[in-house]
Amino acid sequence: MAMSKEEVEAAIIEKAKKAPKPQLYIKDFYKCAPDMKPRQIKNIANKLVQKGELMFWSSGSTTMYARPDRIKDEEGSEGIN
Amino acid sequence: MAKHDTPMLDELEKGPWPSFVTDMKRQAETHPECWDILGQLELSYEDKITHWKHGGIVGVFGYGGGIVGRYSDVPDRFPGVEHFHTVRVNQPAGLYYSTENLRALMDLWDKYGSGMTNMHGSTGDMILLGTRTENLEPLFWDLTHDLKQDLGGSGSNLRTPSCCLGESRCEWACYDTQDICYALTMHYQDEIHRPAFPYKFKFKFSGCANDCVAAIARSDFAVIGTWKDDIQIDQAAVKEYVAGNYPSNGGSHKDGDWGPFNLKKEVIDLCPTQCMWMEGDELKIDNSECNRCMHCINVMPRALRPGKEKGATICMGAKAPILDGAQFATMIIPFIEVSKENEYENIIDVIERIWDWWMEVGKNRERVGETMQRVGLPTFLSVMEVEPIPQHVKEPRSNPYVFWKEEEVPGGFERDIVEFRKRHAA
Repeated sequence: MAMSKEEVEAAIIEKAKKAPKPQLYIKDFYKCAPDMKPRQIKNIANKLVQKGELMFWSSGSTTMYARPDRIKDEEGSEGIN
Repeated sequence: MAKHDTPMLDELEKGPWPSFVTDMKRQAETHPECWDILGQLELSYEDKITHWKHGGIVGVFGYGGGIVGRYSDVPDRFPGVEHFHTVRVNQPAGLYYSTENLRALMDLWDKYGSGMTNMHGSTGDMILLGTRTENLEPLFWDLTHDLKQDLGGSGSNLRTPSCCLGESRCEWACYDTQDICYALTMHYQDEIHRPAFPYKFKFKFSGCANDCVAAIARSDFAVIGTWKDDIQIDQAAVKEYVAGNYPSNGGSHKDGDWGPFNLKKEVIDLCPTQCMWMEGDELKIDNSECNRCMHCINVMPRALRPGKEKGATICMGAKAPILDGAQFATMIIPFIEVSKENEYENIIDVIERIWDWWMEVGKNRERVGETMQRVGLPTFLSVMEVEPIPQHVKEPRSNPYVFWKEEEVPGGFERDIVEFRKRHAA
């Protein structure tokens, strides 16, 4: 049975909390809802940013997602190239 | 008065050419943080390593692009560049500005940033270089509310679409590049402002094969104007060119000593498909062989024009070198109608077919051109539901193998892989 939107949100948050690295690519969330199309998952992840559950982390060329409490503040961010 | 000694940078002020060092010193008179850019750059030259930290969590509320974070890794020595974020502003289609708008933008940037700009970045945006995190939200408010302008794309977003000036000034434009650029910018606001893909994705729209925005070399999805029917010829004007009464190339080369115009040497012999010849004093073209390169039209604009049945060719997969080398786009769709009447429905359909596939199959940080290369063109064409044609074949002799699927062969065939492997081990 297909997962509800709320179930996918919860799975994405769980993944962002427990993943070894704090920053995740959008593709890392695809497995949270294998039956869903990537664009739907992207929309759910971006809604979670609006709700403050996730945040964007950008290297300038690539954008990743992270839990706000797992990322250091701006002055301390290390950055990736 | 210089804040730091910069002997190596000072060398770059010598010579006849313009110097960014001189420009930055001038800018530092009103924006003292620019001294610290020079100081940090001098240190980078000494240490032979960058002192910028790249990336971070800067942005404006609701957006996941448009601001690129930059921090100094030596902020104690150069406090003026402790934060030095880049702001990308969506440029107007065709890069048309009013001086009033440019002045307003520069006033805004003097107020909130270093005053330094890059006009334009390679994606096409106006690049405002250097501001602090606390200035971002007030800058964004003024930009959007007072100037009615928006941020562009960055990161894994759809990048700011860009176009040539198209029908606004160019009689060769085969479709309205500015209109489609604006329409798709509005249609894909979510994809521009929030990350959507495994990596960046760029649209560029050129009105003809002269490709004034270099779409074929630097966009994942290049829409390049072309025509389906015959080049329009005005034989009377051809005679005027031959007689030397009309300057070739619209007079672009008239100041050089190039000798009299030679139609055979400058047009017929340079045609890449050799599809032109003279019969008496009439110019003939075998349009079935013409590849619409625009050379002859560029040389004799008063005699030759694009055909009347206009549209575009779609090429995909160009990119600058990041993982592999730089790559030109591959022609995928030879001709497609580009019509504002249907709100570019057929173009949108092609775009979304690629996105749906690439979002699933593309690896992290892999441009769509690299994904195409990885899976091979035959697979990509089948994903795009495009019938292969000879023009898709780039190197016919480099791979002599043709693989047929059962449904492609009349009568089909049966193949027992187990039986086959008994005779041919894998």
